[in-house]
Amino acid sequence: MPEGSGLSRRDFIKLAALGTGALSFLPGCAPSRSREWIFLSDTDAALLGVVADRIIPPDSWPGGKENGAVRFIDTQLAGPYRRFRSDYRSGLDAMTAACSGKYGRKFESLAPQEQDSFLRAMESGALREGGWTGVSSGKFFAMLRDHVMQAYYGSPRHGGNPGYASYKMLGIDYPPLIGQNRYRL
Amino acid sequence: MWARSGHRDFPCKECHGTALGGGVHSLKEKSMMLVHHFTESSPGRITLDERQVLEMMDNCRRCHGTEYARWISGGHSATYGAIFLNGKHNAAEQLNADCLRCHGMFYGGTIDSLVTPVSRKGPWSLRDAGRSGEPAIPCLACHRIHTEGSPASAAGYDDPGGIFYSRRPAETAAAFYDRYEKMYIRASALPPLRLREGTREVKVSDDPRGRICFQCHAPGAFHQAGSADDRTPRGVHEGLSCLACHDGHSNDAGESCINCHPAISNCGLDVTTMHTTFAEKGSPHNIHFVRCIDCHTKGIPPRRGARASGPDARERD
Amino acid sequence: MKNRHVNALVVGAGAGGGVIASVLSNAGLSVVLFERGGWVSFDDHDNDELLSQRTTVLGNAFGPDDERYRRVVINEDGSTEIVYPSDGAYNNVAACVGSGTVSYGAMAWRFMAEDFTMKTTYGRVEGSTLDDWPITYADLEHCYERAEWEIGVAGDSSLNPFAAPRKKQYPMPPFAYNKEATLLESAMKRLGLHPFPIPMLRNSVPYSGRPACIRRRTCCGFACPINAKCGTHNTVIPAALSTGNCELRTNCIVSALTIDGSGKITGVEYFNGENGKEEQTADIIVIAASATETPRLLLNSTSKHFPSGVGNRFDWVGRNLQGHAYTGAFGLFEEDIFDDVGPGATLAISDFSHHNPGITGGGILANEFTRLPYLFSNIRPPRARLWGEEHKEFQRKYFRRNIQVVGPVQEMPFFDSRVQVDPAVRDSWGIPVVRLSGHRHGRDAEGCEFLSGKAEMILKEAGAFRTWRHVPGGGLSGGQHQAGTCRMGNDPRSSVTDRFGRVHDTPNVFIADASLHVTNGGFNPALTIMALGYWVGEHIASEWERGNRFS
Repeated sequence: MPEGSGLSRRDFIKLAALGTGALSFLPGCAPSRSREWIFLSDTDAALLGVVADRIIPPDSWPGGKENGAVRFIDTQLAGPYRRFRSDYRSGLDAMTAACSGKYGRKFESLAPQEQDSFLRAMESGALREGGWTGVSSGKFFAMLRDHVMQAYYGSPRHGGNPGYASYKMLGIDYPPLIGQNRYRL
Repeated sequence: MWARSGHRDFPCKECHGTALGGGVHSLKEKSMMLVHHFTESSPGRITLDERQVLEMMDNCRRCHGTEYARWISGGHSATYGAIFLNGKHNAAEQLNADCLRCHGMFYGGTIDSLVTPVSRKGPWSLRDAGRSGEPAIPCLACHRIHTEGSPASAAGYDDPGGIFYSRRPAETAAAFYDRYEKMYIRASALPPLRLREGTREVKVSDDPRGRICFQCHAPGAFHQAGSADDRTPRGVHEGLSCLACHDGHSNDAGESCINCHPAISNCGLDVTTMHTTFAEKGSPHNIHFVRCIDCHTKGIPPRRGARASGPDARERD
Repeated sequence: MKNRHVNALVVGAGAGGGVIASVLSNAGLSVVLFERGGWVSFDDHDNDELLSQRTTVLGNAFGPDDERYRRVVINEDGSTEIVYPSDGAYNNVAACVGSGTVSYGAMAWRFMAEDFTMKTTYGRVEGSTLDDWPITYADLEHCYERAEWEIGVAGDSSLNPFAAPRKKQYPMPPFAYNKEATLLESAMKRLGLHPFPIPMLRNSVPYSGRPACIRRRTCCGFACPINAKCGTHNTVIPAALSTGNCELRTNCIVSALTIDGSGKITGVEYFNGENGKEEQTADIIVIAASATETPRLLLNSTSKHFPSGVGNRFDWVGRNLQGHAYTGAFGLFEEDIFDDVGPGATLAISDFSHHNPGITGGGILANEFTRLPYLFSNIRPPRARLWGEEHKEFQRKYFRRNIQVVGPVQEMPFFDSRVQVDPAVRDSWGIPVVRLSGHRHGRDAEGCEFLSGKAEMILKEAGAFRTWRHVPGGGLSGGQHQAGTCRMGNDPRSSVTDRFGRVHDTPNVFIADASLHVTNGGFNPALTIMALGYWVGEHIASEWERGNRFS
C-alpha cells in the first residue's frame, strides 16, 4: 500500500459522483435525520443505550452504553454491518411493539428487573408479543448481545471502547509494553 | 475537548487546514464528510496526516521555542534518513512494520513504501528521498493538543499569598500517539511498567511521564529488567523517574547529577567523576543499573555516623 | 490477451503453492504463481481483534471479502443457506500471498508414522473411508526436514518421546514457556505425561535474515509486525521470485482449467486484477488452492472428456472433506495465570496421539493461544449467563485466571462430507461457488470425549477449582485445517491423484495442498502441507530433469 496521501480510486469515484449528482439531493437533506447518528434515529439510539446497559451493566467500570455500544453499532451499520440494517429496523420496531403490548410502556421506562426478564424472553425466543416478522426475537437478541460485546471489548477504532477502557478493566496493558532487543547497554 | 484545551484560542484551521488550504488530505477529508453525509456511511475520525503534523511543528515553535531548540539538540529529533538509512543497524536487523511504532508513528504508509529494500542487504534508500531530512519523532509523538488545561497566564495579584497555591498541576499535554489506533493515550492512562529482576519486583517510578518513555524503551515480553530496550533505573537509582535525570525534550542528562547529589554531598564524593557510564562510555558500571557493590567490591562501608553493626547497616544490602 | 507460455503454473500462493513454486523455479522451470489476494502487511489491520482470523466478525483481515465471495451451505436439516467469508460456516482460508501462513499460530507438527497408515493401524472403521496414504512417513521425512530448515522451525523434539524419528534437529532452539505452560508442565509431569515445547514456524533466534519473535499477544490470527513468523510469504515465495524464473500474479481469480479438443489440459483461464479475462498456458498445472477451492476448480473445469469435472471420473473430487474435531477443556484458577507472554500456546503433549484405548488415532493437547477479550466474552461454563452483571464479573475475574487445554482430534473421513459446486449461486466473477454439505463421522465424538477428559484431568491437576469440557458438534467439519477432498491413492477408482499428487487421467495436472491428505493427522496440518509441496515439487523437478514433459 503506497503512502496514503492521495485519493484512493474508490474515494475518487465517490467524490466524482457527489460532484455530478449529489448536490441535487441537498433540499432533501431532511431535518428528520439524527444529527448524532448515521443510521439510527435518536429513538433507536436511546433504546439501544438502555439495552446495552443491561447486557453490560455499569458498575465501577463503564456500562455498555458509556463504553460506546451505540456508537459502535451505528458506525458498523454504516459499514460492514450494512447487511444487518433490516434486522435492526424490524427488530427494534418489534421490541418497541412487544414492550408496549406486554407492559404498556417503553422499554426505557421499565425497572431493570423487568428489562432483564423482557430480554431473557427475547433471548429464549419465548416472547410472544411484537410480531417479529423480519427477524426472530432470539436471533435479534443474540445479534445485539454480540454487537455490544464487540463494542465493549474490541478496538476503539470501530466506535466503542474509547481508550481501551475494557482492557483497563481486565488488567491488560494497552499499548503492550514489549521492546525488541537491539543494542546491549 | 478542544474547547476546554489550553490551545482553545487557536482556530481549528490553524492545524487542520481548510478544504482548500490544507493539502490533499485536507481536501479529501472535508469532501468525504459531504460524501458520507449523503451516503449514510461512516465518516471515520478527523485526523491530521503526517504532512500536517510536520507543518504544524512551525505552530508549536512559535510559542514553545525553547522546547523546540532542546528537542533539536537531542536524540528524538532524529530524521527518517538518520534512522532508516543507518547501514550498521539495517545490516544487523531487518527493517519491519513495528519500527514505525516508535520511529515514524505518523507515517501514512508501510515500511515497504518508506524504505527499499526491506532486507539486511543494502544499499538502502528512501522511496521518497525528500523525506530524508524530516523528523521521525515530531512534537505530536509525545504531546497532544486537545488536552484540558488553561493557557499560561499571569499570576493573579489580588491575593499575593495565594499565587503559589493557584498553580494547580494542570492535566499535562503529555500523551503517547498510538500509530495503530491513531489515537493519543494520556500519559497517566498508559500502562505502568511492571518489571522483575529474576522473581523480584523492581520498584518503578510512578511518574506518569515516564510511561511514555516505557512505550518504546521497553523490556522484552517477560518484563525482565535489562532485557530488550529496558533502561529502567535499578541499583542505587532504583525507583527514579527517567525525567529525574533526563530532560524531556533534549533527553540530555548532563549536569543532572547535581539535582540530587550536591557538590558538597553527604558522602563527600564528587559523584560526577565516579567510574560509571556517566563519566566514561566504557565503564562497566552503567549509570542506570549501578549498585553499591559495583564500586565497593569489598563490602559496603557503613553510613558515616552510623554504627557499623547497627540494625540500620544490616538492613541495607 | 495472450500470455507467454510457461513450464508450470501454480494456483494458490499458500503453504503448498508457495513451496512448489520455489522448488520448480529453483529447478529452472519457468513458473507463474497465481494468488487470488494480494500482499498483505501488518499495518493493514495490525492488532484489531474484530478482524483477526480467529474472530472475523467485521471481516477477514487477510481476505477474502464479503462483497465478492460467497458459498452455499446445506444444513443438516436439508435447508440451504448462502454464507459469506466472515461467517464461520464459510470455512474460510485466507486470500493473500502466503495465505494462512501469514496469520497462523504457526505450530510446526510432523505427522507420526501411524498417521499415514491409519487403516493398517486401527482397521476398518464402519461408515468411514479411512485408509492408508500411498506414501509413508519415511517417504516424506526429508520433505519435512526441508520445510523445517527452509521455512524455519524452533523446537526440541528430543523432549517428545512419541515424535516420529528424524535425521536432523530443528534449526532453532525452542521457545521459553509462559506462566500458563510452566504450571501445566509440572502438572503433566506429575501425571506421568511428557510435555515439551511446541515446535513453531517462528524465529526463536534471528534466522534467515529476519529477527527473533518478541512474543506479542496478537500473534495467532494476525500478521507479525516484525516478520518473525515464518510463512511462505517471507521465505520460499521471495526465494522463488529471486530466481528470476517465477512470476507472481496477485489478485487473479482462476476460474477453470482450459482443455483442448483432445482432452489435454493446456492451462487456466482467470480474471486479472481489473476483472479482465485472460488465459495462461503451461506444460504443468499445479493446483494448491485449499481443500475447498481446489475441488471447486476441478469441478468447474468440464469438457466432453471430463463431463463431471477434471479428475472426477469416479466421483471422488470434493469427497471426504475433513478438518479437526477441536476439543479440550477450560479451567478457572484462584491466582493470576495470564502473563501476557504471547502467543500463548507454548507447550504440548503427544501422549494421546496414538495407541490409546477408546480412540482411533487421537491428537496432541496444547495450551491454547491467547484468548483476547472479545473471544473470551464467548467462553463461559455450561449454563452460565452470557450477558448482564454475572457475565461482566466473570470477564473481569477470570480473564487473567483461566487456562484452556485443547487439541485437534483426528477425524474419520466421511464420504458424504463434501465440496460440490452450486448449480445456481455464483460469485462476483460469475463462477459457480462452493457448496458444502455433510457431517462428521460418529467416531469423532468418541475421540473428543476421550481427549477432552484428559484435558480436564490435566487442568484439575494444575490446580483449577472449576473445569468444563468443550466438544464440537457433529456437523460439517473443515475450517482452516480443511483437508482430504482430492485424496492421493494407488487405485484411481478410490482416489483423485497418484502418490505424487498427479491427477489420475491427466498427465500434467498436479495437486499440492491439504486436499491430498488421505487422513488429517491429530496435528495442525501446515508443516505437512509444506512437506507435500516439496514432495510433489521434487517429483516434478526430477522428472523434468530426466526429460519428461508430462504430455
